[in-house]
Amino acid sequence: MSHKLENYLRTYRKRSGLLQDEVAFLLGCQSGTKVSRYERFCRKPSLETLFAYEMVFGAPGRELFVGAYQKVEKRISNRAQLLARKRNRATPDRMATRKLQILKAITSGSGTGPDKLS
Amino acid sequence: MSRAYTKDIRVLAIDPSTRGFGFAVLEGPNRLIDWGVKETKTDNKKKSLKLIEDLIDRYQPSVIVVEDYAGRGSRRCQRIQELIDEISKLALKRKVRVRSFSRVKVKQAFAESGATKYSIALAIANRLPELAPRLPRFRKPWMSEDYRMSIFDAVAFGLTFFHVDSKRKLAA
Repeated sequence: MSHKLENYLRTYRKRSGLLQDEVAFLLGCQSGTKVSRYERFCRKPSLETLFAYEMVFGAPGRELFVGAYQKVEKRISNRAQLLARKRNRATPDRMATRKLQILKAITSGSGTGPDKLS
Repeated sequence: MSRAYTKDIRVLAIDPSTRGFGFAVLEGPNRLIDWGVKETKTDNKKKSLKLIEDLIDRYQPSVIVVEDYAGRGSRRCQRIQELIDEISKLALKRKVRVRSFSRVKVKQAFAESGATKYSIALAIANRLPELAPRLPRFRKPWMSEDYRMSIFDAVAFGLTFFHVDSKRKLAA
């Protein structure tokens, strides 16, 4: 499979029928140049811009920036595995078991939000 | 069209026209990623190839779909035929698979919708609502073809690819 694109901002913008200049206005940029750079994967948006995009297109960041999200997900999963291996060597107690549970959840991709921890 | 399609393949469909070319990028039969018309005022072939190369760089497609100009039902001028050949060469150079379909094959894929170009475009606009605003009005015999029809032709080629591929997989 061709891997996912870095972002799908252009797709969402075209679906909404907005022009680059109009999106730029909504984001608070001077012109559509910056928007064009985001769409051509030449520039990464700031956290504030990401939230603005979420609001404009009504889609979560992980859907707008699928490729970028997948890269981060893979990296974190690898690190969680490494950390779990390190913690496995330590003497088992309640805290260590809990940490291992969390790391396992990260590796499996189910996440560790406060609602997911028992 | 059947519903079992090849998923997770990014397809770049190109339909050269007098103005330049229409293109569509699809990630499955129901997911249109990008579409549009690229215009080339002068030096059509060279400029078109440069623009297609940019699209390949940006979208890194697995397959490029073009028209089989030698197939049944296709009538394309010498310049377009040469451009399609050049696109195939470019794709080979960039190690991207090329598939070509004749007009008859496209009509077969859209057999349920009707055999005319406009009925196919109408079916596409119904299937992919984001394209509905780009659908030109019905062409009268004295009118020349709207430039936006090349978008619908490109999408039709892309969807034909998914249709043919799914049929091949079902037969295997």
